[in-house]
Amino acid sequence: MRWLEVEFQGHKYRVPVTKHQGKLWFHWRGETHVLDSSHAARRTSGEKASLRSGVIAAPMPGKVTRVSVKKGDTVKSGQALVVMEAMKMEYTLEADREGKVEEVRAQAGKQVALGEVLVRVGDA
Amino acid sequence: MARPRKFEKVAIANRGEVAVRIIRACQELGLETVLLHSTVDEGSIAFRLSDETVCIGEAPSAKSYLNIEANVQGALSAGADAIHPGFGFLSENAAFAEAVAEAGMVFIGPSPENIRLFGDKISAKTHVKKNGGPVIPGYTGADQAIWGLIKECEKIGYPVICKAAAGGGGRGLKVIRNAKEAKDAIESAQREAQSAFGSSQVFLEKYLDQAKHIEVQVFGDSSGHVHTLFERECSVQRRHQKIIEEALSPSLDEKLRREIAFVARELTERAGYRGAGTVEFLLQDGKFYFMEVNTRLQVEHPVTELVMGVDLVKAQLMTAMGQALPWPKEFTPRGHAIECRLYAEDPYKGGMPSTGRLLATDWPQGPGRRFETGFEAGDEITAFYDPMIAKVIVWDETRIRAIQKMRRTLSECVIFGVRTNIPLLQEILSHEEFLSGTMTTRFFETHFSKGLKAPELSESELKMAQQLNAQVGDAGGARGGGTNEGNPWSFGWGRE
Repeated sequence: MRWLEVEFQGHKYRVPVTKHQGKLWFHWRGETHVLDSSHAARRTSGEKASLRSGVIAAPMPGKVTRVSVKKGDTVKSGQALVVMEAMKMEYTLEADREGKVEEVRAQAGKQVALGEVLVRVGDA
Repeated sequence: MARPRKFEKVAIANRGEVAVRIIRACQELGLETVLLHSTVDEGSIAFRLSDETVCIGEAPSAKSYLNIEANVQGALSAGADAIHPGFGFLSENAAFAEAVAEAGMVFIGPSPENIRLFGDKISAKTHVKKNGGPVIPGYTGADQAIWGLIKECEKIGYPVICKAAAGGGGRGLKVIRNAKEAKDAIESAQREAQSAFGSSQVFLEKYLDQAKHIEVQVFGDSSGHVHTLFERECSVQRRHQKIIEEALSPSLDEKLRREIAFVARELTERAGYRGAGTVEFLLQDGKFYFMEVNTRLQVEHPVTELVMGVDLVKAQLMTAMGQALPWPKEFTPRGHAIECRLYAEDPYKGGMPSTGRLLATDWPQGPGRRFETGFEAGDEITAFYDPMIAKVIVWDETRIRAIQKMRRTLSECVIFGVRTNIPLLQEILSHEEFLSGTMTTRFFETHFSKGLKAPELSESELKMAQQLNAQVGDAGGARGGGTNEGNPWSFGWGRE
């Protein structure tokens, strides 16, 4: 971490900054921000790239403990699809749209990696 | 603590910030330490701080921190003559306490009998009932068939809470609001109970939905006297895990404060309790009900330490050695203390765990600020364990000043590499219900279940960020600083 001096609206500030694997971390006015440093103007935090895409991917590494849908099922938005366990807690992954289950890759008892696709929901 | 006796080398059967806390207390008392750790925890402050270390197994807890044999053998191999279990893991496991004693070492905690009596939530409830204490109506039977349990839920009347009999720390705990949810919720609680505690037994209780979580710190000294160090309030909980704790509670008047402390002391003193313990209650409509006893040090013990002026870990060590405590007969609380648990999680993605390597940390020191952390720049936050990476504790003269100090302190904490729940903590600390002290255990789900919106940077702030981005890449143009700074080049910058 480095403390960099920057000028902002006529005032000088010392800002803690670290760049790591293409991401710029900096602490500014009481909050930590993370930006994609290849084009630092684009936010990477809070982006919901997969929003309503129907692709349900593992949001963290962990173990699938239950799969409650099968291929061909019709699901509603918000319906529980997969239960995962990570860091000793259970997380229920829900459908982000309504539709028909096109593919189920999740298997109960299997370890999954971050970002691994578990279920795909397509048009009904 | 059946037979207190002098010891010289303490094995720590734990990890993270609590291992650091125990190691420091031992070192200050002139005791040697041995850290019993898993393979992945070589990258932690406790590993670097301990006089000796013994690797007891692989990363998954079942192969290391929950393995009784590995812990006992590890401690023996290093010549330890006592074991401190910290909290979580084996801290409330009576078989572990017995195995430690059988191996000729001192277990720093209550007797196996006390751990069994209170550790099993069902026998604890029976003990309280027998002694005339206030309990919540429910079902504590041995029949665990799913349809029988559902029938009991209906008898109690929804909402019902389903808990692991061997549980603690909020795991294996589900609220059931109606008959439709019952089957899934009970089965999920049983699964969590099995994986976290090795027993799937659950019990049912009427769910109090306007309740405050109040707990009393007790401590049985080596003379058999049980001290009460007043209460903490931990009503800010998410999925039954505490996030913010404070001492004392803003919800008790003097009469209720004396009553609840008296009940806690009676229940533990009648059982011959030794060492640190916490009696948890729910408070609703001016009445309190016994919930459970935690037969160990609590995560939130620092808030009690700050308002009472004690060191609970040293008190545990001294009591285990049969030494008297330098404590007054009656405690007088001073000021107000608050603790926030910092979790490695993304507050903008519903609190999903955020794992990875810590690139930098900066804890802003100051009067009345205390930081308990187990990791620093270069250490990895893994998905194997609890995602709590640090605790921030503040003390000030009044509750409102303590809240202000906490808000200021959190705004100055720098943690790069993983996301933390600091933005969420800030929202909670400025919520009117928290400020007024009227929050209940449903406070979090009522106001924060939707999650936070990520903050937006203005155009001019983004421009400034671009400037930072250009500067930080230029190694020559930057001013270094900070004692625990990580070297960005050592983490494979540019490896993408």
